[in-house]
Amino acid sequence: MIDPSWAKHVAGALRRTGIDLFATVPDYIVSQVLEHLWADAGCRVVTVCREEEGVGLLAGAFLAGQRGALLMQNSGLGNCVNTLGSLCAASQIPVVLVISHRGDLGEFNPAQVPVGQATERILDALDIRHVMPRSVGELEAQVDGLVKLAYTRQLLVALILPPELTGGKQG
Amino acid sequence: MTRAEATRLLVERLRHEVVVSNLGQATVDLQRHGNRPLDCYTFGAMGQCSSIALGIALARPDVRVICLDGDGSLLMNLGSLCTIATLAPPNYALVVWDNEVHMTTGGQPTATACRTSLAAIARGAGIDKVLEPRDEGTLERAFDRMLGEDGPFFVNVKVQKGRAEGRLDRDVIAYKLRFMKALAALPREPARR
Repeated sequence: MIDPSWAKHVAGALRRTGIDLFATVPDYIVSQVLEHLWADAGCRVVTVCREEEGVGLLAGAFLAGQRGALLMQNSGLGNCVNTLGSLCAASQIPVVLVISHRGDLGEFNPAQVPVGQATERILDALDIRHVMPRSVGELEAQVDGLVKLAYTRQLLVALILPPELTGGKQG
Repeated sequence: MTRAEATRLLVERLRHEVVVSNLGQATVDLQRHGNRPLDCYTFGAMGQCSSIALGIALARPDVRVICLDGDGSLLMNLGSLCTIATLAPPNYALVVWDNEVHMTTGGQPTATACRTSLAAIARGAGIDKVLEPRDEGTLERAFDRMLGEDGPFFVNVKVQKGRAEGRLDRDVIAYKLRFMKALAALPREPARR
């Protein structure tokens, strides 16, 4: 059973770790988290044209003292691979990636499957620590530690939102 | 006009502004003619310079942020112009050193050498203050406006082809830390801009 409060928990967990700037290219799943962030006067959400632009924007905000997270689909991860490596990793600039996982269990769109299946291997290839909580309980147990790790050593980290947590998208 | 001459005209006007420079030639010139703690040099992620500067401008609305981009790099990230226009941060200015070539890789022509106008694209994206100085006098007036008025500004500067003098210093982490400390030490004063 999907806990319908999952999106509220994602938004709440990110906010309590001190993240108050969000960049996004929305999808159906990420939009459910964005609803809570848009309603939160304490944070700012910037919709960018391409996910890579969000990486640059959040990297700049970090240099100016602000914590940021990028909310996107795993297709967006593919769009920002070089910038994650040659900006964030090379310059030790932390950004929290929140990635909705399409192309896995229950997927109806064949175009989503190749990059969906490659998502964890892309993150591994870039040495990006990631977690993939499958329940609200696991989410609550993992997000604070993931974000703390990012800012302890100025690392990229990723929170993957799998269909077991979110219900995915029904075709 | 050369990019180095234009860089010097900008640097001599600066006080407490952040300057973010594009990888390669723009950073070589800024290291040589600026080398201020509030310089934010970039070394990789071609195309992202204007987005990095935008993030700094959003996080520090009390500080004016000037991005020195290149035509080849901005052409990789044209969506950034739309995001700048949408958010319209008054403390943001994007200067493009437009030499119509990919200079670092040997001078291959970019689209601005042919039919493309970045200034027209910036206007189309929704940026109102678009300036196209054509000589030293109009460039100095453009810089004075950009540093004295609310933005966002887009300033397209046609510069001569040619490599920057000197070598790029790639001490990436040391420059990052110098910049972060200098910006954090700048008191938050709404009136500064």
